[in-house]
Amino acid sequence: MTVQVLVKPNTYIDSVSLMSLSTKANQIEIVEQAIIAMGTEMNKEVIRNVGLMTPEVESAKTSDLVIIVKAASEELCEGAFESINELLTKKKDSSKGKSEVKYSTITSAVNGIPEANLAIIAVNGSYAPREARKALENNLHVMLFSDNVSIEDEIQLKTLAQEKGLLMMGPDCGTAIIGNVALCFANAVRKGNIGIVGASGTGSQEVTVRIHEFGGGITQLIGTGGRDLSEEVGGIMMLAGIKALEEDDATKVIVLVSKPPAPSVEEKVLAQIKQCKKPVVVWFVGGNEEKVTQAGGHFAKMSKEAALKAVLLAGADESKLNKRALNLPLIEEVRAKLNPEQKYIRGLFSGGTLCDEAMHIAMEKFDNVYSNIQREPEYRLKDVRVSQDHTFIDFGDDQFTQGKPHPMIDPSTRIERFIQEAKDPSVGVIVMDFVLGFGAHEDPVGAMLPAIIEAKQVAEEEGRHLEVIGYILGTELDSQNIEGQINKLLASGATHASSSQNAGLLAREFVVKGE
Amino acid sequence: MRLAKYGDGDFIQRIIHHKFHGFVHSTFNRTLNIQCLDSGDLYTIACKGIDNAPNTLIIDLDSFEEADVVVNDNVSSDHSILTIANKMSITLDGAMKWNCVLPIYPAETDVLKMNVFTMKQYINLHGNNSRFERAFKSGNPFDDEMSKMLNERTQLLVLELQNKRMSTAITHATSLIGLGPGLTPAGDDFLVGLFTVFNIENNRYFSHKSFCEEVVLHAKPLTNDISYMALAKAAVGLVRESISDLMEALFRGSEEELKLSLRRVLAIGSTSGTDIALGIVAGLEMNM
Repeated sequence: MTVQVLVKPNTYIDSVSLMSLSTKANQIEIVEQAIIAMGTEMNKEVIRNVGLMTPEVESAKTSDLVIIVKAASEELCEGAFESINELLTKKKDSSKGKSEVKYSTITSAVNGIPEANLAIIAVNGSYAPREARKALENNLHVMLFSDNVSIEDEIQLKTLAQEKGLLMMGPDCGTAIIGNVALCFANAVRKGNIGIVGASGTGSQEVTVRIHEFGGGITQLIGTGGRDLSEEVGGIMMLAGIKALEEDDATKVIVLVSKPPAPSVEEKVLAQIKQCKKPVVVWFVGGNEEKVTQAGGHFAKMSKEAALKAVLLAGADESKLNKRALNLPLIEEVRAKLNPEQKYIRGLFSGGTLCDEAMHIAMEKFDNVYSNIQREPEYRLKDVRVSQDHTFIDFGDDQFTQGKPHPMIDPSTRIERFIQEAKDPSVGVIVMDFVLGFGAHEDPVGAMLPAIIEAKQVAEEEGRHLEVIGYILGTELDSQNIEGQINKLLASGATHASSSQNAGLLAREFVVKGE
Repeated sequence: MRLAKYGDGDFIQRIIHHKFHGFVHSTFNRTLNIQCLDSGDLYTIACKGIDNAPNTLIIDLDSFEEADVVVNDNVSSDHSILTIANKMSITLDGAMKWNCVLPIYPAETDVLKMNVFTMKQYINLHGNNSRFERAFKSGNPFDDEMSKMLNERTQLLVLELQNKRMSTAITHATSLIGLGPGLTPAGDDFLVGLFTVFNIENNRYFSHKSFCEEVVLHAKPLTNDISYMALAKAAVGLVRESISDLMEALFRGSEEELKLSLRRVLAIGSTSGTDIALGIVAGLEMNM
């Protein structure tokens, strides 16, 4: 191993960028270890303690940025420095915006681009309503990525949008596809004749990806934000979204995605479905089939089912579709491998709705299903750091993301938890999602791979079989190379599930005993 | 011409009544640091949305990204106008003055005790990946060692302070300065929180507040200029508005008010707010 050091004199990088840079530097494949820190005496002491002190580090000043790389050879170290420098330069370049005009305010952007009709807003929640209001007043549709916006502000903004005939997607809306352009977190999918209104980001992503896989395509994916179907907000944007898609000639079928709405909102949504001239598929996680059917909607209990119904209603030939049935022999095989005490599933998810779906599937057979997003207070984890019986964790929830990037970008918190869960002898199955697409991590499976390999080895040495299920949410059009991601997953000894629905079903069936 | 909206009262006085000569020390998207040639102190020009702070002027700008201001640009003042190398002029006419005033320690501590308990729970759930909190868990040897050292040293510091062994406490506090990879190292942030409590009138350690200034005497060569200024100011009870608001909420606020103030502190930097909050908790628990 070789240790090489680069000292950048008088370089101040704000802590957020420094953390992100450090995380990315440690993910460079050839790097054994990378340290990026200010050259203070105390940091030098830490560096000395971990055995990476060199004369260059010793002579660095408190205002110098120290970059240390440990790799197999000098050449590899040099290569790593190049990559780190690229990351530094990329940050500078992107902040300068070489070929783009950058506007500091919505008003200046509206003046500069009069043809613009949509604003994406991602500022601190305290300022977000003001900016969203400005955008709406300038006749722009809004996608409000920011969270921590009060419900009162949300109602006011959505009412204003409604009055002006505009979409107000969000707050806390991270997924949309408008005019075949993916916004924030979304997958690259085919253009088609199915429109979606979604109150949940990864749930909507999953439906778009399955529709794409079944050969269908998307007209628009309108995000509403997770609180839209609450009693207070009253589903203003879901109702507006259904109306917009009904009036859109290109849309033949509408799919609604959400967690269960407040009862009064559900009534309004169902009443609108009843009047809608186009077929509407409803996937409300944990939803009620009877009510949907009575309203003339097409009920879907799970995500793949929703996508399948949508493509069939849109004209697909069922006989030509590969529905990817569950691998029943595999279920028998895994059940036989698990020790009697390996009773529990641990779901570690970066996507909230993917977590919710897997959790609901487990709840159909087990009573003891705990989560940080459980709606039943009795089954809500008291300490999110400690799992209990069957546990499903959404790492994208606020408890894990305050001041940290979302797990779809930074997998570190989930990796730590995976290692913890893998050591638990009562765990039979760990199920995880890996989300690809715009805005997501470049190599989510790769980041988890060493932990999976090691955990499986350790379990084997202890006489246990640890079953790891991975579901990769993505299409062949996404930049991350889905085939490569699947191959990596399989090479680690994990099981690849072909959909979110199948991931949940496999996890549940693997630990069901004696059936 | 840019308008200064708010500013540290002493900084405004200095610009208006004395000639200010300095240069740009460092630039970030939303703040510029200026070094005063006369005193060597750092002053900050900050964009809208950043809270009031010692030596800081808040101006009506969203970002400095397009301002073209670079390190070493000259900065000078003429009456109420501050000019940065012919690239930006800021008028202080109409700027509202702010001065940090820390609240007084309450005579009855029931509310405080409950709020400290709530604050600890909240930090536990929502704290921003603090190096203290993630001790030994990252799998990265540098991070693990850093967390271990921060934990050990803060525990030793608190122990010595509780036993009023001030000289060894100074040694342990000094061993925290500059410890942490970021722009304001975690050890410095923890001390900013601790110093804040020491400067609260009527708290049990108020008579020992010279401890803070003695620690700062050792700080200059151990950390960078930006973090040093924050430490030096906190040592005499001058902290950001969000921190003084948090102290008020801790002493007298409802749970809702506490959480609102705490969220603003936790939002400082990437991990700084959490480390400052942990320093405040440590200081307050020593009083209980």
